[in-house]
Amino acid sequence: MGWVMKMQIRFAGIGGQGVILAGVILGEAAAIEGLNVLQTQDYGSASRGGHSIADVIISKEPIYDFMVTKADVLVALAQLGYDSTKEELKEDGLLIVDTDLVKPDREHIGAPFTRLAEESTGLALTVNMVALGYLIAKTGVVRKESAEEAIKRRVPKGTEEINIKAFRVGYKEGLR
Amino acid sequence: MKYPFPVGRSDFIQGDEAIARAAILAGCRFYAGYPITPASEIFEAMALYMPLVDGVSIQMEDEIGSIATIIGASWAGAKAMTATSGPGFSLMQENLGYAVMTETPIVVVDVQRGGPSTGQPTLGAQGDVMQSIWGTHGDHSLIVLTPATVQEAFDMTIKAFNLAEKYRTPVVLLTDAEIAHMRERVYTPNPEDIEIIYRKLPANKEEARYPFGDIHGDMIPPMPVFGKGYRTYVTGLTHDEKGRPKTVDAEVHERLIRRIIDKLEKNKEDIVTYETFDLEDAEIAIISYGIVARSAIRAVRLLRREGIKAGLLKLNTIWPFDFDMIGNIAEQVRKIYVPEMNLGQLYHLVREGADGKAEVELIPKIGGEIHTPMDIIERIKRGV
Repeated sequence: MGWVMKMQIRFAGIGGQGVILAGVILGEAAAIEGLNVLQTQDYGSASRGGHSIADVIISKEPIYDFMVTKADVLVALAQLGYDSTKEELKEDGLLIVDTDLVKPDREHIGAPFTRLAEESTGLALTVNMVALGYLIAKTGVVRKESAEEAIKRRVPKGTEEINIKAFRVGYKEGLR
Repeated sequence: MKYPFPVGRSDFIQGDEAIARAAILAGCRFYAGYPITPASEIFEAMALYMPLVDGVSIQMEDEIGSIATIIGASWAGAKAMTATSGPGFSLMQENLGYAVMTETPIVVVDVQRGGPSTGQPTLGAQGDVMQSIWGTHGDHSLIVLTPATVQEAFDMTIKAFNLAEKYRTPVVLLTDAEIAHMRERVYTPNPEDIEIIYRKLPANKEEARYPFGDIHGDMIPPMPVFGKGYRTYVTGLTHDEKGRPKTVDAEVHERLIRRIIDKLEKNKEDIVTYETFDLEDAEIAIISYGIVARSAIRAVRLLRREGIKAGLLKLNTIWPFDFDMIGNIAEQVRKIYVPEMNLGQLYHLVREGADGKAEVELIPKIGGEIHTPMDIIERIKRGV
């Protein structure tokens, strides 16, 4: 899937899944490539369990928007997150879901991200990196190397290896 | 000097973080604050960075204490800043006036959220426009800057310090929750490439005798540093050139207050900045600032595609206010629209500037959502 001028990407899940960190890392990767990028978030007051949304807009032009209005890509990691924002995905937009946890009512692609995270790193909370890897493999919105550099910059010290491992599992899955 | 964040490259950071980094690059070495959403990240960053640059970051008992403390720090020779949101900004108003009256360079960041009172802590608004200009009592002037992007938040923070130092005045950086929390790509220049202005110090003992005197004819008195060998007196009471209270002398009061206002009014050309988009041949003008200006730019571009001659004036400084410039635009266009996230604040200044030469219509929005380009377009199309 190529992209020309602007790509609006929304991550949706529940608190605790690292949805916002996934958005931040994607944004950082775009910034590393010199692209214009904006990232905003919307979440409930609960640190776990409430809906959690991260928006990333990447463009070669200046960005005037401040949130995703019509998403080109929606990455849904939980049913609650999907339900809360499915209307914002373009009709011809790309829907990526955790196939174990989200049962969408439209065409989609995806993989059991949480299960893949648990199997590969032993930690379900690396699900965000698995999904990010998958997204980047499928869309080519940023380069794999930029994403890995962004992960190194943004994840807590000492967890770089495990996060990159999860990212690569997702990336590989996305190339299949 | 080693900085505790990357310089000379782009980074992907929040508005609040950008403000903190820019303040440190501008030479700020004293921060006092009280946590409040959506400005707390500025404090967090300052608490982290200040000890690493030999600066001070201190949590005060409240916002009154915060601004009082930075005024003291500024008189002790430090560049100083505080940051807050609406409820805290209200508490700061008395001392903001004290900073005006004592001509103290400080930077006050107000990250607006929905009000009045504690209102909508996590949602953006532009409800503090009038408060930022007229919140403190008495005749006065100060400078208010309004960024629309994270890069602008960065750049305008440096500008805020430079203007505060140059004109010996408090400067308000008026931003909002959305810009504070969004992340964008921000270029941090190498420190040697940033223009940094420092306040004028007294050149000698004689000059130091007049900490409030227009001794250079530029309306800006040199500012002595507390504890550096001069006897001086700093008071919020009306004072003469030496700082001595003169509270019943009309002439002294008028001379002081007019100078405090004129030093900004007569330097508008240096202080006031703005950008225009497609305004040259516009028949409809949008006048906007802050986060809403982003939607306004999009609205102008989309209206142009449909053949409607719209243009935008994006204000980066909302005080001092360039009434004449608004008047010139009003002579050119049929109608001016003012979209803002309040029920009409800057709108009134625009109307005054337009002075009946063009109709001015407010596009208000409150509740926390930002105008979409369509909100603006639909309203304009109704009038076409």
